Amino acid sequence: MERKWIESKMQVFLAIVCLIFVFLTGRLAYMQLLQNDRFTTLARENRIRLTNITAPRGEVFDRNGIKLVGNQPVYTVTLVNLGQKDTSDVVQRLASILGLEPAEIQAKIDDQSRIYEPAKIADRVSTEIVTRIKEQQLELPGVDIAIESQRDYPNGIMLANVMGYVREINEEQLRTNRDKGYRLGDPFGQTGLEYTYESYLRGVDGGRQVEVDSMARPVRDLGVKDPVPGNNLILTIDSRVQAAAEAALARASQTALAQGYAEARAGAAVALDVRTGAVLAMASYPTYDPVKLSGVLTQKESEEIFNSPWKPMLNRALLAYAPGSTFKMIVAMAGLESGITTPEETVSDPGYFFWGTTFRDWKPGGHGSVNLVKAIKVSCDTYFYQLGLRMGIDEITSMARRFGLGEKTGIELPGEESGVVPSPESKLQLRLNYLSREKREKALEVDRKYKELLAKTTDEDQRRELLKRRSEELRAIEWELDWHDYDTIITSIGQGDNRYTPLELANYVAAIANGGIRYKPYLVQKVVDPNGNVLKEAIPEELGRAEVSPETLAVIQQAMREVTVPPDGTAAGLFKGFPPVAAKTGTAEVQGRDDHALFVAYAPFDNPEIAVAVVVEHAGHGGSVAGPVAEDMLAAYFGLPIPGQMTGGISQ
Amino acid sequence: MFMQSRMLKKIDYTILFTVIIIISYSLIIIYSATKPVELLSMAGSQVVNQDPLGVVKKQVLNVMLGFVAMAVLLCQHYENLSKHVKLFYVVNLIMLASVIFMGHSALGATRWIEIGSFRFQPSEFAKLIIIICFAAFLVPRVGKLNRMRDLLPCFAFFVLPLGLILKQPDLGTSLVFLAIMFGMLFAAGARPLLLISLIVGGLGTVSLWIWAHFWLLANRGFNLWVPLKDYQLERLLIFIDPWKDPLGDGYHVIQSQIAIGQGGLFGRGLFQGSQTHGNFLPIQETDFIFSVVGEEFGFVGAVFLLALFFILIYRCIYIAVNAKDDFGYLLTVGVISMITFHVLVNVGMTTGVMPVTGIPLPMFSYGGSNMITNLAAIGLVLNINMRRQKILF
Repeated sequence: MERKWIESKMQVFLAIVCLIFVFLTGRLAYMQLLQNDRFTTLARENRIRLTNITAPRGEVFDRNGIKLVGNQPVYTVTLVNLGQKDTSDVVQRLASILGLEPAEIQAKIDDQSRIYEPAKIADRVSTEIVTRIKEQQLELPGVDIAIESQRDYPNGIMLANVMGYVREINEEQLRTNRDKGYRLGDPFGQTGLEYTYESYLRGVDGGRQVEVDSMARPVRDLGVKDPVPGNNLILTIDSRVQAAAEAALARASQTALAQGYAEARAGAAVALDVRTGAVLAMASYPTYDPVKLSGVLTQKESEEIFNSPWKPMLNRALLAYAPGSTFKMIVAMAGLESGITTPEETVSDPGYFFWGTTFRDWKPGGHGSVNLVKAIKVSCDTYFYQLGLRMGIDEITSMARRFGLGEKTGIELPGEESGVVPSPESKLQLRLNYLSREKREKALEVDRKYKELLAKTTDEDQRRELLKRRSEELRAIEWELDWHDYDTIITSIGQGDNRYTPLELANYVAAIANGGIRYKPYLVQKVVDPNGNVLKEAIPEELGRAEVSPETLAVIQQAMREVTVPPDGTAAGLFKGFPPVAAKTGTAEVQGRDDHALFVAYAPFDNPEIAVAVVVEHAGHGGSVAGPVAEDMLAAYFGLPIPGQMTGGISQ
Repeated sequence: MFMQSRMLKKIDYTILFTVIIIISYSLIIIYSATKPVELLSMAGSQVVNQDPLGVVKKQVLNVMLGFVAMAVLLCQHYENLSKHVKLFYVVNLIMLASVIFMGHSALGATRWIEIGSFRFQPSEFAKLIIIICFAAFLVPRVGKLNRMRDLLPCFAFFVLPLGLILKQPDLGTSLVFLAIMFGMLFAAGARPLLLISLIVGGLGTVSLWIWAHFWLLANRGFNLWVPLKDYQLERLLIFIDPWKDPLGDGYHVIQSQIAIGQGGLFGRGLFQGSQTHGNFLPIQETDFIFSVVGEEFGFVGAVFLLALFFILIYRCIYIAVNAKDDFGYLLTVGVISMITFHVLVNVGMTTGVMPVTGIPLPMFSYGGSNMITNLAAIGLVLNINMRRQKILF
């Protein structure tokens, strides 16, 4: 062919080739020069993983510096989505290493809503498993071992109901605490002090930037920001007293069960420093293992804890119980302060009291001639039936309120119940709940009307008249809406609507012991940051002073002292070789079930330091079942040999 | 028959040096692309029993085999080739057919034949053989290709080999065949308008067909037959929108673009590409090797490589113009078409402007068949240049 012809063809060729190269160069310029920032960011996102280093939570110590709650590093296994379509091989391998079902692992991967964040597959894995995973790292793309700090309990389950437990933050908590910087998977105090002091215990998380390859395996460390540990708590708890209380409660339950009290499976004990309100011990039985609740629960474990009829999650020191005879000091003080009775006045007890019906004393045949001190010492019911009736319910209610009964103490724990001091008002409110709507409205109308009328009058006779008419109108609607004499009578021995928490009872006994000062009970003495600086220190806070004369208090104190004195004090068998102890037993009737056993005490009698209150549910007589618990606690406090642990259980 | 020293002087050294630079460049990039990653968590404990230079060494062997092939094609007069084209054509068909019966599969396609410890890819060699055969076929037809019916025998010439390659299936190589065919037909004087309307019409028909397939599938639930495998259709869809499935089918395309895009003007430096060394890039020493160049040497390095290819092609066009005869001219045009199309589709694929078809970058991607074929083709072009004048003794 002609050269010219070929040249023209090749010129077209050259033009096409030039176009192609210009096009490709242009594309490169667009990507590498104009869009460089965008692709650089995408590349960064590809290869840089920011892993969170969870800050160790603050540790918790008792008043003597004994560690109650610490931390331990645990290995967790995580799996990150690498975008492979098929992860079944990895899941299969991991399942065989961890001893899990592949379906369980798959479920955890599927649960992870944000696909670029690793899903936690297992925690608290052993070092052997860690080694095996490291060995097979190449076949396990996406699998990573992280070290997490988890709660460690050197004393096992001790103080579990007070401390509460820590668990991964749930969706609800995450929503309400979002502005505090919580992230999915963060530990969060669920109950108890862990919950109340969450913001102190938490600490500041650190982070590690790692460059990874496409299999998410770390290639280079880019820097670490160390976490700041949370602040430590120093509690008012004395772990010796706490341990004694917990062991004694368990023993009391066993003892009562052995004696045939089939429902004696729960109880609580509280010890307070009467000079400050500091909580020395707060035990609840049965309890739970906080370690189990911190991790992944099996179906069986979850059922054991949450569906147990004995409800181990409850802190029973904060639940209200009928106080039984431990309430009698209130009635006695009301009698003395109102001038209705004197320490010298004696009452004859034939073993019952008749007022419309027969009210029996706990002792058939009675206690004979009884004065106030003896009435408390032997827990004479007849004496208090008469005294209560003579002075009326208002005096009793007023005295109970002066000792803070019927209101929350305000301790720094969630879930505290408020006690109930019986009164015509409280009875009306309680019974209203059981009425038909029609009757309830009628009753409320009557109540409102007389409240207005009573407020207007100051004349005593007129007042009495109004109250009488009010009673009549209420009785017309429903007999039990009104307060009757028998209500006053049974209230006087701590029955009826009386309900107080063991913490309230301990605080009331502490006020008797210290001359009437009501302190706010508290558990945390100090909050200390990791460098040892004190961030917060508890100062004893007075809630009020009971308006009671020192003379009255002296009589009551003496009476309580007599309770532990042989031969006929109701707790005469306890506290042998102790500094002098003042106490009161209580046996609260529970309708249709075994009685609750109660016991309150303080010691030393002359210079009180510690007050205790003990309840053992459905365990019979207070002196024989709850008393030994208090005895063990006081022994631990005074550094004496613990009686319950020496005799192997059954005292008395 | 050995070449005389005078003949050696007539070798186009521009082409030879350009080729040597391209190959040297490729060896560095292959080394970087196959360097094993050291994992942090296992530093020290993991025994790297992989030779970091292993792939490079194999490629050096491929290069040596390639230069042997080049020398073989330089030694004798290229005109001798035209005497055996019928034999070549038949051997080629047998080779392609044998792949279907005894080949090895990879990435959904059967492309390799194993002989001893060597694997070779007949479709690579087929490109060069078809250039030689088609050049000889076209020589008597030069200037007589104005009508459609003049083109029909040419199409018939391609039907069998193209069919066998599509059967593998190797869409990329069949497209290379079409590029070679159209390039050589144009050079042989076929009416440009006819060729353009064929290309546009063909592309239009196929696009419409595929579009109809998806439209019917989506709206009518009717599965219209298309001459493509599912994965090929998927790749086409992904080409249109890779972010539709960024962790699945779009992954390769996206990771390659990220690598090139983050290279910037000067690149991240040799061995510093996080996409390359974090293994985010797929098959980075073969099909996606250009992404490594883009990431580690940036715009400058990538354009430098394109410039080398341009010089090579430019020199080939010069040789084509000055070829002694039509056979030499058409052979050169075939080689130009092949190399140009490879560069366009490969670089286009890594930069996201062409669908993923698995076409290697000539003399740059790791692989023996590709290297040998291209160096043999270069040898052929050098041969044509060397003998453009009667040699005077």
